[in-house]
Amino acid sequence: MIITRKVLARRTFLRGIGTTIALPFLDSMVPAMALAGTAKKAPVRMAFVYLPNGMDMTGWHANYEGPLHDLPRTLKPLEPFKDDITVLGNLTHNAGRALLDGAGDHGRCCGSYLTGVQPRKSLVDIKAGISFDQIVANQIGNQTRFASLEIGLEDARQAGDCDSGYSCAYTNNLAWRSETQPLPPVLDPRALFERLFGNGVVLSPEARARQGRYRRSILDFVTSDTQKLETSLGPTDRRKLDEYLSSIREVERQLEKAEKDNSQIDPHMEKPYGVPADFAEHFKLMTDMMTIAFQADLTRIMTFLVTREGTSRSYREIGIPDGHHPLTHHRNMPDLIEKVAQINNYHMKQFAGWVEKLKSIKEGDGTLLDNSMIVYGAGLADGNKHLHEDLPTLIAGRGGNFIKSGRRVVYRKETPMCNLFLTMMDRMGVHTEHFGDSTGRLEGLDLT
Amino acid sequence: MQFPGQGKPPTGIVFDTEMGRTIDEALALAMLYGFDGKNEARVVSVSISNPDLRAAAFCDAVGRFYAGATSPEVRAFSHGLPIGLSTDPKVPSADTPMIEATLSKATYEHDIQTLNDTADPTPLIRNALTAQYDQNAVLICGGPATNVAKVLDLPGAREVIEKKVRFLCIVTTKFNLKTDLSAARKVFAEWPTPIVAVGQEIGEALPFPGASIERDFAWSQSHPIVEAYRAYQPMPYDAPSWTLAAALYSVHSKDGYFNISDPGSMTILEDGSTKFTASADGKHQYLILDPAQKERIIETYAKVVSAKPVARQPQFPLKKAAEAAKAAEDKAVEPVVPYVKLPTPPK
Repeated sequence: MIITRKVLARRTFLRGIGTTIALPFLDSMVPAMALAGTAKKAPVRMAFVYLPNGMDMTGWHANYEGPLHDLPRTLKPLEPFKDDITVLGNLTHNAGRALLDGAGDHGRCCGSYLTGVQPRKSLVDIKAGISFDQIVANQIGNQTRFASLEIGLEDARQAGDCDSGYSCAYTNNLAWRSETQPLPPVLDPRALFERLFGNGVVLSPEARARQGRYRRSILDFVTSDTQKLETSLGPTDRRKLDEYLSSIREVERQLEKAEKDNSQIDPHMEKPYGVPADFAEHFKLMTDMMTIAFQADLTRIMTFLVTREGTSRSYREIGIPDGHHPLTHHRNMPDLIEKVAQINNYHMKQFAGWVEKLKSIKEGDGTLLDNSMIVYGAGLADGNKHLHEDLPTLIAGRGGNFIKSGRRVVYRKETPMCNLFLTMMDRMGVHTEHFGDSTGRLEGLDLT
Repeated sequence: MQFPGQGKPPTGIVFDTEMGRTIDEALALAMLYGFDGKNEARVVSVSISNPDLRAAAFCDAVGRFYAGATSPEVRAFSHGLPIGLSTDPKVPSADTPMIEATLSKATYEHDIQTLNDTADPTPLIRNALTAQYDQNAVLICGGPATNVAKVLDLPGAREVIEKKVRFLCIVTTKFNLKTDLSAARKVFAEWPTPIVAVGQEIGEALPFPGASIERDFAWSQSHPIVEAYRAYQPMPYDAPSWTLAAALYSVHSKDGYFNISDPGSMTILEDGSTKFTASADGKHQYLILDPAQKERIIETYAKVVSAKPVARQPQFPLKKAAEAAKAAEDKAVEPVVPYVKLPTPPK
């Protein structure tokens, strides 16, 4: 690394053999004369955290509009961050409805979630639409190492029938590069790690296992660059750098643990080699890396398909051996509804952990969370009735001092979800007249 | 929700109207639900052009009254239609005694307290159309064309309209046209399907018989339309029927209730009157009353407006719902309001 000027370039990397580590936003990257000016502004990021099978809406809805106070059950884990979230009501995805295509709400609701168009009912001739995150990525993706990142925790099969004649391509992807090309999520933490910090070579699971026996921290490979950089940094930046590199080391430790655990179990399991057996650990590992990706400005756009739409995954770790999807068709039986509520709450606890992490990272005058718009939601509202209106939706973060958070904002019925996307596109600096079935921008979201 | 393999369903009716200024619109809403119960039409969207929350609540209450007959199995998987409400101040308020007379009674439940309990009418109408088979929807515009004109401005909506809508049936009273002249002109100039106009003279020539209110609703102890009719003006009276005529024609356009003009082009004049110029390639027509049909039409009004609510068909083929619907087939069930036979008034 050669530092040729006093101001550190935003695109400074720590390099070593097979390793490239981007840096977080440091004070040294800002010209002294611009500290109080616009150059200090951190970029705005957006992410989508998608939950399957709808929600227990009785646990989601607050019975009031305006400032958040008593949070309903599902949102309770966000209590410490309620000033940082905005809960939106009555957003609708008409494209998720049957519209003459019969059964298959799970396939449709996920396939249409970010694309805003009704997916074609087919197992082989798949067609949806370019998702709005990819429209943004096409416009601003050249400013970061990755135009976007697609992450998931469960199933990335791209073929087969996942819902009443809808291809698994619809239930297992959120982002679509084109009408016919979904972007499968990365499920394997090691693969994501190598993508973020590697030199572009993705190892096979077997090669990774071999390497793991002799593994050293990637930080060891960049020691020389790190030492050189530290000498040019002030105490605040040195602390920031230390915290950042420590967070990478922590991710490595989690990966090593997962890989060690997996070496003890059946090697014929479908699960990728480095995937933690525990859902919460997997969630944390992936979101820790997502945090680093945002922090180091590796990307400004991410989608996170927590589990595939329509999943029948069980949650034994919280005492629920039943499949998630069958539970949501609860026939109004209180014990089944209770289990759905527990799953919703469990997911939200994991999400709250990520929100806490984003909030803990200082960036400019605020935090990484302040400069982000993290949408947490589902493509179905009531998973029992398969409703596509009043979708459970919240935004964590302020999108760079834009969103007046800490409120519940309810819109009129049938307000298109695509209106939210159009508003977010504006915030990301990408302007278009309409997207999907949008009828305009969402009013009342901003600070004005 | 419609499913392939279940056969083409009856015409989907998108009903956009004013509500509260005349009793005609309330009668038309009831008649459409009556046709829905007879499986001769399906009410797929209801919206109003006057910005009155209570009028929207009235529509919701009427819808719930008719949905009350639905079996629990079907109801468990269905949900009420949202009511579209314009916020455009061009149409004057019509918060009249007929609305309050109904809503003041606890019998009639509704779920509209704030604006956010209603739908924006333009996406509501567009979305309802997207769910219809091609050429199997009719849009009725019973009031000023404010909402209908705005639908034309939604991206992609014209293509949806052209594909799904057989015709637009629009009430062309002077009040309706003059109240939002620009909307009416836009609709007549740009609407992509045929338009059938229901003129002032049609409604005045076909009064809904006030006697029906006393005679034909005896099966119900309380009925929202009866409450509204009685409160609208002192009884007895007969009510002009512009929107009723539009509703009847929209559902039974081929059953000879009305004659229809040759095609042409309709122009809206400054004072709200219309000028029709015949032309073979014109997309506009207007209803013509055949005096021989007058009695039949008025009888149909009374019969369908006063029809008992009927259990709806299931929205999708769940076994239980299908069984419940089969049991209810062709059988009128009691509404949620207990049945008490009232004495027949002396003739």
